[in-house]
Amino acid sequence: MDKCKSISTPFSTSYHLDHDVAGNPVDETKYKGLIGSLLYLTASIPDIMFVVCMCARFQSAPKESHFNAAKRILKYLQGTKDVGLWYPGNVSLSLTGYSDSDVAGYKIDRKSTSGTSHLLGSSLISWQCKKQSCVALFIAEAEYIATGSCCAQTLWLRQQLNDFGILLNKIPILCDNTSAISLTKKSHYAFKK
Amino acid sequence: MHSRNKHIEIRHHFLREHISNGTCKIKFIDTDLQLADLLTKPLAKDRFNFLLNELGIINVNCLLQ
Repeated sequence: MDKCKSISTPFSTSYHLDHDVAGNPVDETKYKGLIGSLLYLTASIPDIMFVVCMCARFQSAPKESHFNAAKRILKYLQGTKDVGLWYPGNVSLSLTGYSDSDVAGYKIDRKSTSGTSHLLGSSLISWQCKKQSCVALFIAEAEYIATGSCCAQTLWLRQQLNDFGILLNKIPILCDNTSAISLTKKSHYAFKK
Repeated sequence: MHSRNKHIEIRHHFLREHISNGTCKIKFIDTDLQLADLLTKPLAKDRFNFLLNELGIINVNCLLQ
C-alpha cells in the first residue's frame, strides 16, 4: 500500500457500510490490526475520525467491503502526509464547542452518531465521534444528546483551563438545531410522554 | 417510562443545569458553518476541504509559501 494512488476524501458518499453477510470474509486479525493502527492515528488526524469509527464497528466479522473502506483511508493518508493541525501563537483563549449529530446514520440499529469539536481561539483542541447509546426518535433528540456530550467535554476543558489560571464562563456551545436549543430553555418537559 | 429514556432525562437536566449556572450557553449556528459536521457524516470533497480549512487542518507546504 505504500505506493498506492492518493484519494481526496477518506470515505465514499455513495454507499453505507452494513454487515454485508454475503460478502467475502477477510482475515479478522489483519483487519483488527489495521483498525488499531488507524485508531492510533485519529489522536492527531481528526479528518479520518468518522470513517475509522465506522469501520471499527465491523471488527467481529469483517468482509471485503469493510476492508476496502479501510484501505480507502490509507489511500487518503497517502495524499495527506503534509497535512496536519496548525496551532498559531498569540491567539485569544476563547473556548467554543461545536456539537452535531446525524439522524439514524448507522442503518443496522438506527442509532445516531454524535460529533463534537472544541476550538481554543481558532485551533482545534478536542474532537469526538461516538455512536449514541440510545435510539433517538427525532432530529432534535439526537442533536440534544450530542449537545449533552459536548457540554460534558466543555466542562472538562473548562476545568483544565481553570487549573492554568484561565477562568471561562458562559462558554458557547454551537448547535445547528433550533428545536434542540429551545429544549434547553423552556421549562416544560418535552421528553415526557 | 422506558428505561432508556431515563438517560435522556438525566442528560436533559444535566445540560439545563449548566446553562442556568452560566457555565455554558447554547447558540445557534448555520449548518454550513457547523464545524462538527465532519465527525458525523460522509461529506463531498468541497465541503470536506472547506471544513478542514476552518478547523485549522492545513498543508504544511501552504504555510511555507
